[in-house]
Amino acid sequence: MKTQSKLYFYLTISAILLVIIAVWSLNTGVYDFEGKSAFEVLGKVIKGDQDLSLSDQYVVWDVRAARIIMAILIGSMLAVSGTGLQGLFKNPLATGDLIGLTSGATLLAAIAIVLGGHFKQYLPEVIQFSLVGIAAFIGSFLSMLLVYRISTSGGKTNVVMMLLTGVAITAIGFSITGFLIYISKDDQLRDLTFWNLGSLAAATWTKNSILTVVLIISYIILLPKGKALNVMMLGEKDAQHLGINVERLKKQIIIITALMVGSCVAFSGTIGFVGLIVPYILRLLFKSNYAFILPLSAVCGSILLLTADTFSRSIVEPSELPIGILTALMGGPIFIAILIKFKKSL
Amino acid sequence: MKKFILAASVLVAVYSCKKEAGKPTENTTEVSSEAPKSTHKIVTLNGGITEIVSALGQEKEIVGTDVTSTYPESLKATAKDLGHVRSMTIEPIMAVSPTLILASEKDINPELMGKIKSSGIKSEIFKQEFTVDGTKKLIADVAKAIGNTDYQKLNDKIDADLKQIQPIAKKPKVLFIYARGNMLMVSGKNTPMASLIGLAGGENAVNDFEDFKPLTPEAVVKANPDVLFFFTSGLQGAGGNEGALKMPGVSQTNAGKNKKIITMDGGLVSSFGPRLGEAAVGLNKLLIENTK
Repeated sequence: MKTQSKLYFYLTISAILLVIIAVWSLNTGVYDFEGKSAFEVLGKVIKGDQDLSLSDQYVVWDVRAARIIMAILIGSMLAVSGTGLQGLFKNPLATGDLIGLTSGATLLAAIAIVLGGHFKQYLPEVIQFSLVGIAAFIGSFLSMLLVYRISTSGGKTNVVMMLLTGVAITAIGFSITGFLIYISKDDQLRDLTFWNLGSLAAATWTKNSILTVVLIISYIILLPKGKALNVMMLGEKDAQHLGINVERLKKQIIIITALMVGSCVAFSGTIGFVGLIVPYILRLLFKSNYAFILPLSAVCGSILLLTADTFSRSIVEPSELPIGILTALMGGPIFIAILIKFKKSL
Repeated sequence: MKKFILAASVLVAVYSCKKEAGKPTENTTEVSSEAPKSTHKIVTLNGGITEIVSALGQEKEIVGTDVTSTYPESLKATAKDLGHVRSMTIEPIMAVSPTLILASEKDINPELMGKIKSSGIKSEIFKQEFTVDGTKKLIADVAKAIGNTDYQKLNDKIDADLKQIQPIAKKPKVLFIYARGNMLMVSGKNTPMASLIGLAGGENAVNDFEDFKPLTPEAVVKANPDVLFFFTSGLQGAGGNEGALKMPGVSQTNAGKNKKIITMDGGLVSSFGPRLGEAAVGLNKLLIENTK
């Protein structure tokens, strides 16, 4: 029970921190509310105040608030997917972008965008609307299966194989995506940077609601799995003896992480390293206790991405830095730190 | 625990600094009472459109432009440069509180277009055709959007300019080259540059593909241009005349053998606005000089 209350304490602290950052983010931007703070304006929007100028309302609600919520949702899911994968592979290097999930998702999303027009009319309407999202999910799911099949034998994952498979998938994905960008007209895949470095600029409430549904479904299944993942660390045979349905747990983690990574890529492009940085920092604080780091990574991922995004849109006003540059800047050194730390065991 | 408190306090500190610093207040320029028409606050997101609004005498109403709007230069002082249309986001546009946003369909990305549409600000997205008639139509459309009926003089000027073009007996084959990132691209048929080269009495050297494609040595040799045509800034990027002549394949062509390289200002030749006639005459003169 003591550990439980400790967990709630940390969760509360992180959540408060997240709220503070969200307030700061809401007040950050080039638009000027003529003496009012963005927070006041948001209050008026929520109250349905009539004397609010349309522009003020639009900037606060449809631009900034939508973007903040998107950063919270995507940051959270990327971090949790990283933590889940690391539990599954029992390895701190397993993250969606390193083992090729993101490339797989990007690749199929790009195919859906460039070639989707040709077969769209044969699909039911619901699927048409979310074609890119579904494609991204399938892409990350297939990559995941491939990586798992190639790198795991007899319940043991060979890390080198896992990373090399990721490199291979990334290379294939990059080349085909590059080709698609080359043949596409400017109006389809305008922005290579969007896919390679990600962006939250296109946040809308519709996208946020889809992401929220994905997040809720994923977390209901994944977040209670912390203890089971802790037991998995003993090895799959022991976990089986202790009453954990190992195969089922693995399947769940594979499908849920693929779903989360796929949805994130579909809406925000490739934002790398979030799934690496957050679990790493949490592991420094709480060792590999997944009962702690799984729920905490959900909040800390949001903190990280929201901070990065707020910086990305305020450093070089009026334009913005692609957010992937910032996350990679933070993630690169941490990746090297992990490599040095685990030099002997890799 | 300590770490959390530390991190939280740092953030609070950062946030309060930010608040104290405050934001620079926007200068809302007082519109002079001389202006006869209703005044707008216009954001123009395309070089040609910017030129049209300015040439119609409403330059003062432009509050924000994109990076391709390099002319007239006086705009630098009065309008905010919002950067590149491709990577632009809605908030900086809203920050200059425009009443009207003018953009061309080919430049603007769909995400931004959607945001502009839902922002409630009046916007006009024009289809831009890179021909003389297309330019005249754009001038008329833009004039209509800003409530200006006095645009015929701009179209007359284009016609008057075009009359000065001297026919060239043996049409020179012109290859237009520009750098996109670190790739050199050449313009095929149905591109703005091909259209301008045609107007100026030349012939676009590449006719077996549309749009812009990366330059390959074989394609250059096959096209065998008489003249290489660059943006002034583009030629510098390619290493000046020396660099251009060293490009793969160039030395095998007539242009390479006779060292015929011409440059013009990128804003002038690619905007297809009121200075279209001027641009065509300028190119025509250069082609005549370089085909003797």
